[in-house]
Amino acid sequence: MQQQGSTLAVLLAVQLAWVSVSKGETQPRIDVRYAGQNEETPDFQRHVIPMLSKLGCNGRSCHGSFQGRGGFMLSLFGYDFKADHKGLMERLDLETPSDSYALQKATREIDHEGGQRIAPQSWEYRVILNWIASGAKGVESEGRLKQLEISPAEIQFRDASETAQLRVVAHWEDGSSEDVTPLCRFLSNDASIAEIDDSGLVTAGATGDTHVVVFYDNGTVPVPVLRPVSDQTGERYPSVPAPTRVDQLVVEKLKKLGIVQSETCGDTEFLRRVSLDIAGTLPTSAEIRAFVADNSPDKRSRKIDELLETPAYSAWWATRLSDYTGNTANQLNNVSFNNNQPSQEWYEWLRKRVRENVPYDRIVEGIVLAGSQREGETYQEYCVRMGEYFKDGSGEKFAEQESLPYYWARRNFQRPEDRAIGFAYTFLAIRIECAQCHKHPFDRWTQEDFKEFQPLFSTTRFNPNGTNRREYEELLATLEVDQALRGNQLRQALGRLLQKGEVVPFPALVQTSTSGPRRERGERSRQVTARMLGGDPFDMTQYPDPRKPLMDWMTGEVRDLFAKAFVNRVWSNYFHRGIVEPTDDLSLANPPTNQALLDHLAQGFIAQGYDMKWLHREICNSRTYQLSWQPTESNRLDERNFSRAVPRRIQAEVAYDALVQATAGMSQNAGYLTNLKQRATAIPGSAQGRGGNNYALTIFGKSARENNCDCERSNEPTLLQTLFLYNDNDVLTALDSRGGWLAEVAREWNQPLLSNPNEPTIRKPENYDEIVARYRSQIERAKNQSNPERLQQMKARLKAFLEQYGETDKAEARGKATASGVSEEARRIAVREAYLRTLSRLPSAEEEQTALQAMSATETPVEGLRDVLWALLNTKEFILNH
Amino acid sequence: MGIQRQCDGTRRRDFLKMGALGVGGLSLGQFLQLSQAGEIRAGAKAKSAIFINLPGGQTHIDTFDLKPDAPTEYRGEFNPISTNVAGIQICEHLPKLAGVMDQFVILRGVSHTLAAHQLGAEYVNTGNRPLPSLEFPSYGAVVTKEMPGEPDLPPFVSIPTTQQRPGYLGVQYAPLHTGSTPRAGQPYSVRGLALRSGLTVSDVERRTNLRKELDRTFAGLERDSTLLEGMDQFSRQAFDMISSPRSRRAFDVSQESPAFSQMFGDSPFGQSCLLATRLVESGVRFVSISTGGWDTHQNNWENLKTRLLPPFDQSLAALLEGLKQKGLLEETLVFVTGEFGRTPKINQERVGRDHYPRCMCMLMAGGGIQGGRVIGASDDKALAPLEKAMSPDDVAASFYHAMGIDHQKEYHTSTGRPVMIVRAGDVIPELFS
Repeated sequence: MQQQGSTLAVLLAVQLAWVSVSKGETQPRIDVRYAGQNEETPDFQRHVIPMLSKLGCNGRSCHGSFQGRGGFMLSLFGYDFKADHKGLMERLDLETPSDSYALQKATREIDHEGGQRIAPQSWEYRVILNWIASGAKGVESEGRLKQLEISPAEIQFRDASETAQLRVVAHWEDGSSEDVTPLCRFLSNDASIAEIDDSGLVTAGATGDTHVVVFYDNGTVPVPVLRPVSDQTGERYPSVPAPTRVDQLVVEKLKKLGIVQSETCGDTEFLRRVSLDIAGTLPTSAEIRAFVADNSPDKRSRKIDELLETPAYSAWWATRLSDYTGNTANQLNNVSFNNNQPSQEWYEWLRKRVRENVPYDRIVEGIVLAGSQREGETYQEYCVRMGEYFKDGSGEKFAEQESLPYYWARRNFQRPEDRAIGFAYTFLAIRIECAQCHKHPFDRWTQEDFKEFQPLFSTTRFNPNGTNRREYEELLATLEVDQALRGNQLRQALGRLLQKGEVVPFPALVQTSTSGPRRERGERSRQVTARMLGGDPFDMTQYPDPRKPLMDWMTGEVRDLFAKAFVNRVWSNYFHRGIVEPTDDLSLANPPTNQALLDHLAQGFIAQGYDMKWLHREICNSRTYQLSWQPTESNRLDERNFSRAVPRRIQAEVAYDALVQATAGMSQNAGYLTNLKQRATAIPGSAQGRGGNNYALTIFGKSARENNCDCERSNEPTLLQTLFLYNDNDVLTALDSRGGWLAEVAREWNQPLLSNPNEPTIRKPENYDEIVARYRSQIERAKNQSNPERLQQMKARLKAFLEQYGETDKAEARGKATASGVSEEARRIAVREAYLRTLSRLPSAEEEQTALQAMSATETPVEGLRDVLWALLNTKEFILNH
Repeated sequence: MGIQRQCDGTRRRDFLKMGALGVGGLSLGQFLQLSQAGEIRAGAKAKSAIFINLPGGQTHIDTFDLKPDAPTEYRGEFNPISTNVAGIQICEHLPKLAGVMDQFVILRGVSHTLAAHQLGAEYVNTGNRPLPSLEFPSYGAVVTKEMPGEPDLPPFVSIPTTQQRPGYLGVQYAPLHTGSTPRAGQPYSVRGLALRSGLTVSDVERRTNLRKELDRTFAGLERDSTLLEGMDQFSRQAFDMISSPRSRRAFDVSQESPAFSQMFGDSPFGQSCLLATRLVESGVRFVSISTGGWDTHQNNWENLKTRLLPPFDQSLAALLEGLKQKGLLEETLVFVTGEFGRTPKINQERVGRDHYPRCMCMLMAGGGIQGGRVIGASDDKALAPLEKAMSPDDVAASFYHAMGIDHQKEYHTSTGRPVMIVRAGDVIPELFS
């Protein structure tokens, strides 16, 4: 068909040595074989459907539409061979193949809304014709594609407009193989870097790297394409340190691209970044000073270890795990007697395990295999235990129990199909929802895969009537509650009894038998065969609980994917993106930017027994993580290959906490790593709805945790965020809070916190000054008499009197220092402290000068310092992690 | 990678266009102004737009496309009533809209194929069929990019939130969500806009200047980063908005005369419409209102006649009337749509209708579009467009046409990929005839 256009192409790619799989030769291309008449019988699965797919027949706008087109419907993206065959058969003429309606439509002998798709006497035409002539057979037993082999396996361009031709060979499990290039669909993940046409011809565009993706049957294979950014590739790449395996793998890729890394970042930059990333907390000024002064070579890795031991770390990762598992009170009604309680328990359950560094697979096991009533426990005992957890309120007692049943109790996680989707999202970071209705366009999953996966979730039920109806009713009968009450009203009544210390019947997660007697009661018969995604069918009835094989499958057969899903999400916490982005789309067509890097981390994570702290250390100790944000000439546009630290807005909860911490008084400020009270990272649920700081968290993009998408958390800046930082009452109040830092400084300087307090509403009495003077003389007298009690009393009275008229005891302050009496040195110290607590660094000489000038330009130095603090909170440097 | 930028931050493509503008040449300032303002089609009347989104998907066959003669399993229980335009009938529970039928156009038989809420919503909010690899900018983002508006007002306000996202255009075109709806007769302000007592504009100005001086760390990198560039723009805008009394007044619906406000009723949607008229009057370019609850799988008719249609009817009619009274209807394009219609065949089990993108209705008014017409038609059961289907892309092309924006204009994504504003739509000629 189409020959490769350019002979100028410089292909640097390594041509894979040709490996013949087994019997026989590879069949040549179909367009060559059918260039003239032949006697071959095409195969429905291997030839006819891929060809129709390529011709666009089963596209969304044509017969692949869910309503079909012109009464004819094909499965979207193919792979429903039975239905497609049936649909076609109705439009064929086996006697006189060329008279077939379908063929006449496609060639537009009869008017066809989709235009002419097949030219008469083309190879496509002959394929269809031969297929019909040979009896138009469908698929008797589905062939299994073993491998799609693509050459070149990787493309490196040098100049724009260079081209490279892909060749695709399909290897089937029966040992046959065929060059299927003309039957493949092709897609470029970034058309500005590489375009690919229908024949598989790749054309170079701008510099950078991307993938072109090849689709055939249920195979999806990405092919890396890159065009170096500079001539500093390979041997010409400057020598850079690559102390860890992570660094080596990152640099390997950068060498191909000619992207030169940034320098290693400085100590203050590192400390701020790592504190925000690991613990969601700004470093304190004391910490920064100590860290900078420390001369030991391992201080960075010690700091990483230290942060991983803080309560702030476990709070932050309990928050992230709450995101992925969907912890929100909004989906947990009817689960307990107070919607917030299960959300709190959920969070605490996770936090305890993060704190104890329980291996990730064990945490997941506690969720996946969760149960309510323990073995050997009666329903009554279970209810007693749950009642105790409820009374505890903090969730800490609940956290002691081995499992977390609430994941299964969510309202949006009840139907088996919703569970299949939500489960795949949480633990495997894949989006199988596409396959609910049709072949996944960007992954290997077919509708069949989805249908056979979903029964695994059908036997677990969160039952409002506990584990046993009879025991539930017996327990209920013992209580003084209107037995006619139902639903919410009953729940409220029981909640009141619970408060009084009664044992009330709790809802519970129950496992109904896979083969059970439910069919007799007229329920739909239950599907008993199931299949893991991509696995073999098995009989569910051999397992009392099908979640067990499900869990084994995750940590067995697909453990790479299971590990990658988590590892990639953790990576994205430390950089501006995941190695795969979006982080919840680990599909074949969305490959990692650095495959070797992702593999290394996933393999290491598994080898280390899913040790989360190992993972955090592995990433944070790399030089890659510790690179500066200052770009080099060749990496300033790179946002894919981790060649520099790309600034990113700090996460919602962390941003809010940082704001409060930066304005807080010294002791509160210093306690942020250990004291979780009031911290946004310690809010258990999604915080959408009720509560104080929800507004800020909402506009800064805290996840609502309702839609199985990592995109529910957003760290995009918006105008509303800027308005918030500029002028929201929350921020202005924090600045001037009595317990805040500014107030502390004002006290130290003997200055009023507010220079122009609100206008007094009460008129001062005529003899106001006289009264004040009287108080003062009494104070003086008390001082002279050395009567501390009397002195205190008089001072307090004066203060109360002054405050009545909106004044502060300026006079007292004036006694020690006047407005201008704050020394230059004191101001300098304050400016430096303001810098340390916001930007986590000292000001440059120029910045310090600017700030000092600003302070002398205002009426009082406190006012000036407030301006400085406000300005710093509103810099990009504050709200970005860099 | 792949970003083709010149040193001043403009894109190469634009420079080539400027070169073509010719000999006399433009100063760089003029050029930037032009590029910022986009290429505005002369003669377009619409200067601002109000986009009303009905998440859930409003039923078409029970509102603006009734089929009284359809078999019972399709028909539904509502009857049609006449409107103030001869020959056009709409649902009996929309009496006020029937009285202003001459002000708006019904597009019947709009059709697409995305039956999921999110995908459908993305489609009708962007005019482009969603792609997994690329997020398209919504109407509000495109309009405010092409027609920036007053500096001291947020160009794009959503009441209370919206599904419209800036997509590949980047965060600087994101809407300002009010986060709440006003309550009838009560003063209303948006958090962060009102100046706190004791704080004066000169205080804010002094601080802002200091911030500018101190916020220099990333200076020079803005041109490579839409993040930094966008944040700078937000800072400028935030200052303008806080320091201008106009922007605060624009949000305060209590400043409207009681006679005028009463027309809108007390419902959140009514108050949102009232706020939208004020905002547009003040110079806000694009207002989106979102009013949900239309996903009537169950008890369709009961929900419609008691809960959904009465406030919808009153508020939308008041919006058109209010804009007209203020002389704004001619220059304000109003567009109403859900993400899809609902199955004409009744779901008997649940007494409802399910998702149905193949046939739906949309409404347009103002902005120079002649009201009192029905464009397009559906078949006898409202199952499909009768003749040629209109797609959300066609409606989008028409929307932009009315705004004077060339819908075939090409933008570049952050990776430099060229993408037309509307990739696959044609202007619906009847709308402009």
